[in-house]
Amino acid sequence: LDTTLLSSSLLLTLSTLLIPVFTQLLPKTLKSPTATITSATKTAFLISLIPTTLFIHSGTEHIISCWEWKPIMNFKIPISLKLDLYSVLFIPTALFVTWSILQFASWYMASDPHITKFFLYLLMFLIAMLLLTIANNMFLLFIGWEGVGIMSFLLIGWWHGRAEANTAALQAIMYNRIGDIGLMLSMAWLASSLNTWELQQTSPATHLPTLPTLGLLLAAAGKSAQFGLHPWLPAAMEGPTPVSALLHSSTMVVAGIFLLIRTHPMFANNQLTLTICLCLGALSTLFAATCALTQNDIKKIIAFSTSSQLGLMMVTIGLSLPQLAFFHILTHAFFKAMLFLCSGSIIHNLNGEQDIRKMGNLQKTLPTTTSCLTIGNLALMGTPFLAGFYSKDLIIESLNTSYLNTWALLITLLATSFTATYSLRMTLLTQTGFTRTPPTTPINENNPAVINPITRLAAGSIMIGLLITSFILPVKTPPMTMPTLTKLAAITVTALGLILALELSNLTHAMTSPKRNHASTFSISLGYFNPLTHRLSSTSLLISGQKIATHLIDLSWYKKLGPEGLAHLQLSMAKTSTTLHTGLIKAYLGSFALSILVTTLLTQTP
Amino acid sequence: MGAHLARRYLGDAETEPDPLQLPTFPPRLGLPERRARVMVATAEELARAQVPLDQRDFCAHHLLRLMRCHRDAFPVPWQCHDLRHAWDACQHHDYVMRMKEFERERRLLQRQKRLRQREVAAATGE
Repeated sequence: LDTTLLSSSLLLTLSTLLIPVFTQLLPKTLKSPTATITSATKTAFLISLIPTTLFIHSGTEHIISCWEWKPIMNFKIPISLKLDLYSVLFIPTALFVTWSILQFASWYMASDPHITKFFLYLLMFLIAMLLLTIANNMFLLFIGWEGVGIMSFLLIGWWHGRAEANTAALQAIMYNRIGDIGLMLSMAWLASSLNTWELQQTSPATHLPTLPTLGLLLAAAGKSAQFGLHPWLPAAMEGPTPVSALLHSSTMVVAGIFLLIRTHPMFANNQLTLTICLCLGALSTLFAATCALTQNDIKKIIAFSTSSQLGLMMVTIGLSLPQLAFFHILTHAFFKAMLFLCSGSIIHNLNGEQDIRKMGNLQKTLPTTTSCLTIGNLALMGTPFLAGFYSKDLIIESLNTSYLNTWALLITLLATSFTATYSLRMTLLTQTGFTRTPPTTPINENNPAVINPITRLAAGSIMIGLLITSFILPVKTPPMTMPTLTKLAAITVTALGLILALELSNLTHAMTSPKRNHASTFSISLGYFNPLTHRLSSTSLLISGQKIATHLIDLSWYKKLGPEGLAHLQLSMAKTSTTLHTGLIKAYLGSFALSILVTTLLTQTP
Repeated sequence: MGAHLARRYLGDAETEPDPLQLPTFPPRLGLPERRARVMVATAEELARAQVPLDQRDFCAHHLLRLMRCHRDAFPVPWQCHDLRHAWDACQHHDYVMRMKEFERERRLLQRQKRLRQREVAAATGE
């Protein structure tokens, strides 16, 4: 009975989401499609609590359903779905966050003429993401993977009249494609060596070679914006704020980490891959935190914060703690989505102003939004007993007590203190101080479509850590014994970061001109990464293309070696022999007669 | 925190045990009444409860009680706090025992070095 109830309620959840997609195809129009879609997502969330509760209570390991869909004779799509703890917890979280974002978007995008299309795009993205989550087969996962990539492109470039938005959308596609090379490599390897794409058959007891695991790592680095493939995530802030909140903080960017969590048994024994995960994650988290320190656009700060937390999740994978990484995904989804919604509320209320230097004293005019912004920042910093604490503090503790790379440990601690610094900087500049906004701004947050989602997510940010730890037992024993300094390491570095931020903000009040040194220039120009890679790679490709087209083909093959060269050779030979052509017939006849006479005389032998 | 690693590189590596190669001395050297540790939970119980392999250690009986309590007390999570504390305390004592083993190894290595130095001194003294 349990299994039937579980599967049928999950099926009901997924079909509730599909209803608005198909009703749009009907000729008659619904009274308010956006409200329909929002309520469909809300209903789906409430229904999805049933399979989650049943799953946790029954202590099931996982439920796998294998089916094949054969549209034509020789082509089958394996619809094999896996319901384990990860998918069963992710679905209600994603639906809850999406419900809040859709409700917010009905206010934020109210003036947009194609709001229905926007909502449908978000819904299609959600369906692709959930497909990715419950996929047991790499092929199905790939369908979901590409689906979220396409919807990301369409949603980042929503305001397609803007050149920067189009560039950003294309950038997202390019970087994700580089990651897809890795995914396709590992899929091809799995198909050729293990003859399967099913996840439960891809983790043999024997040691797996490093190549497919590196492919998966590249895929995760591309999708989850690790260092080297990270520029698309800050650029993706060109899209509307609901898009940033849903895709580029909670759901899409964690798809790479989710892939690594799902395929963790494949490389749990491969120390090289785990070390690369650890070091790449540590580098990403520090780099993103450094870049966030000097950003002035509120959305870019939160984007770099997302990138930093994704690096932390990658570090957790490198520590061989996939369940803890997944836990961090869930808690991060709540407070990051809330941070984006608060920033969206601030931006809309200030008539499109995104620069924090032109905001100030919003605590008085936007009390609820700014309070929730503070709660979100505290959760992000890992304040004790908020959501972020339960996952982030455990990660830092496990990192401190593990036998591994000290450099990665120090880098991660430094990034944790930077997190506190940029969060406090953002809070201080937006909420406190003097009002630097223009005097006539349409500030009004008394709209339930704004307040309800934000407060709902705030409640989630406070409670979700406690809820998950109460009901789910860890599958890897957490470290219980460590020196006091190690136990307090995370909160100490956070406090140091806060003190540093307060000190720096006090300095800026006293100084007149901003100080420009190498560190600040590095941070402001995002590590010089964008111009270096974008210009170098494209110019080198274009120059080599030009060389091949002109020097190789035109010059060498046609001129030097081909028809012109042959003609030139003939011409030079003809030029040397042309001086012998004098045109004197009598001389030619005389030479003929002479040679015949000499030949006749010589051949006559007496 | 990492002092043992620093001592292996900067201090005397001979008297510092390698954390990955413990133990090198016989377990009953100097402790004649020592008995081997016995797991309270049986292998069948752990297999039936589907406990993850990493968690089938000497504290697994506490974990089994905790899992049973979680199943019975659902959806009220605070009834199992005592059992969770018992499991955590057992893990803590296990860790302390491991640290004591490490310290024993270190002192035995130091003793070994002292004995060797005494032999060398006696051989050169004579």
